[in-house]
Amino acid sequence: MKAKVVSVLLCMAMVTTMAVGCGSSSDSSESTDSSKKESTEAEGGDAEETGEQTLFQQAEAQVDEDLAPLPDKDSGKKLAAIESTLSNSFWVTMQEGYEDAAEEYGVSIDIQATDSDTDTAGQLDILNNMLVQDYDAIAVSPLTEDCLISGIVSANQQGVTVITTGNEVNEEALEEAGGSLDAKITVDFHNQGVLGAQYIVDQNNGEGQVAIIAGNEGATQSDARRDGAKETFEKAGMDVVAVEQCDFDAQKAYDAATAIIEANPDLVGIACGNDDMALGVVQALEEKGLNDQVTVVGVDFTEEAKAAIEDGSYDASVAMSPYLMGKEAVIIMLKALQGEDVSSIGDSTPMAVVDADNVDQMSDWH
Amino acid sequence: MSDRKSMINRKVKEYSYVLILLGILIAMILIISMASPYFFSWKNCRNILNQSAIYLVISVGMTLVISAGQIDLSVGSVIGFSGMVMGMMSLNGAAPGVAIFAGLLSSFLIGILNGALVAYGKMNSFIVTLSTMTIARGVILILTNSQSVFGFGTAFTFIGSGAVGPVNMPIVISLIVALIGAVILHKTTFGNYCLFIGSNEVALNRSGVNVRRYKMIVFGICGLCAGIAGMIVTARLNSAEPLAGQGYEMDAIAAAILGGTSMKGGKGSIIGTIIACFILNVLKNGLTILSISSHYQEILTGFILIISVLISEYHEREKREV
Repeated sequence: MKAKVVSVLLCMAMVTTMAVGCGSSSDSSESTDSSKKESTEAEGGDAEETGEQTLFQQAEAQVDEDLAPLPDKDSGKKLAAIESTLSNSFWVTMQEGYEDAAEEYGVSIDIQATDSDTDTAGQLDILNNMLVQDYDAIAVSPLTEDCLISGIVSANQQGVTVITTGNEVNEEALEEAGGSLDAKITVDFHNQGVLGAQYIVDQNNGEGQVAIIAGNEGATQSDARRDGAKETFEKAGMDVVAVEQCDFDAQKAYDAATAIIEANPDLVGIACGNDDMALGVVQALEEKGLNDQVTVVGVDFTEEAKAAIEDGSYDASVAMSPYLMGKEAVIIMLKALQGEDVSSIGDSTPMAVVDADNVDQMSDWH
Repeated sequence: MSDRKSMINRKVKEYSYVLILLGILIAMILIISMASPYFFSWKNCRNILNQSAIYLVISVGMTLVISAGQIDLSVGSVIGFSGMVMGMMSLNGAAPGVAIFAGLLSSFLIGILNGALVAYGKMNSFIVTLSTMTIARGVILILTNSQSVFGFGTAFTFIGSGAVGPVNMPIVISLIVALIGAVILHKTTFGNYCLFIGSNEVALNRSGVNVRRYKMIVFGICGLCAGIAGMIVTARLNSAEPLAGQGYEMDAIAAAILGGTSMKGGKGSIIGTIIACFILNVLKNGLTILSISSHYQEILTGFILIISVLISEYHEREKREV
């Protein structure tokens, strides 16, 4: 019997630890605050000394400019965000953007994420759980186009402002269910394709044969990047000799590049749907000793890509900033809460093409 | 007088583990209520019940299977499978009733297949259901081309997001399933045989009971439960996701074990499973409301599981000594 009591006490203790854990979470946000202050000071110092901003600072300024007039500070609003899994660095960086922007505007933000990329029902549960608290606005990044629709409809009914960040919802189905979004922040995937292809065009004076390595057929980002690249090449008068779907798989991209270069030995450029595939292509070219002849670009600017650009094996990558996307989301939510119509603000998230010339300026890009 | 006292005593002993679980649940509710003003409200209570519904339904099936000394790892895939069948039928113009029937039938048949392989093929249930888990998931991915199937009528989505008076449909369905499960396990010969299969299969077989047939049926019921859960998930999300239900088998096993069902078979409690489901979902809901990362939830779930099994084991030993 005594042991039973002890066990019950143990359980209680465990649950209490949980509650304590909640208390300590505010401490950690304070510590990020102070590091944020330090970094802003450092930025100020840099600007005075060199008189010019890094690409990231330019992009950050661009966001403020695009979204002007900026909302009032310290409005005391309660914001929330639901992301996809935090085991992906993209969402972790976006979370920093959310938190820093909320701090900057003197509002609170609570951020939750699902355990995995596939837990759609779990994400809907999180949204419903958030709706019992009196948040003024919630930013969601739905795992699939349909999974959050019923939750968004209940949010509408309760008068909570809802926007999507990054991922989109099936708006037709949402409308049918009687719901609507206040704003959506999307990534301009088409422009990512255009920027990458334009780099190849510029490097080769718009002449020569080029190829496109795309992701999986039917996926929004993949198709948009592919089409953007194709249009850009054709407009510049370059000869697109091959378009291959390689499912974002480095190995498939490697195989495809080997075959393309075999058939078109004069190739001057390959535009890829992401960095993983681009690095597979780089590998194939290196083995054939054609690295200098062929310009390779990709999208995402991953850590691996950054290293490859620095050592000169990889030409360029199109970077976008999940951090700034989170920041935009906070600003847009606050603008919506002030009664402004933000439904037309869409894909203004800044992007940059990174190559060997400017990669050293990218240390603060996130 | 003393007879009555000893009877009450015996009842309390019998249910003491369930009472401990109930105590944990109440303690959790109290603590989270103190930590957040949003937790203790009818709306949030409805939220928790609604979210527990899916887990409750599959956990009831799992409790039966585990009581019989078996395991079913395929329930997660069956959730996706029944949802896909319902989605594809609906898209091709089938009436909601027909689509639901087809989905539930398919899940029941997968369960029966599991059971047949275990009972007649004399294979280990872990291996059989691990195989059907991956096979079913593969079939879903091929048939749907890994895209979600959507476009259901309001009659179908009512199952997931509609309400009867103040109570959501999933809650109603899950409570009915739990009630039926409790009756089956605790009040019928079939339930007795289930527990018997778990504790002493050979003896039961010698006494002339067709053990194989009962084994097959118990897997069939578990498959059917997963199919019902698939129906709720699909109706709630208004789309049949190809990866729906992935990993849910672990939640169902956790709920059954936490509820006092023995992995060794021969011992099972539906009421325990119900309370265990609520414990796990109150934890999940509470952590979201307290804005604590879901990563902590995984740690806490593991701890709760270990501690509860320790209590349960200790309890068993004490009972035997008495």
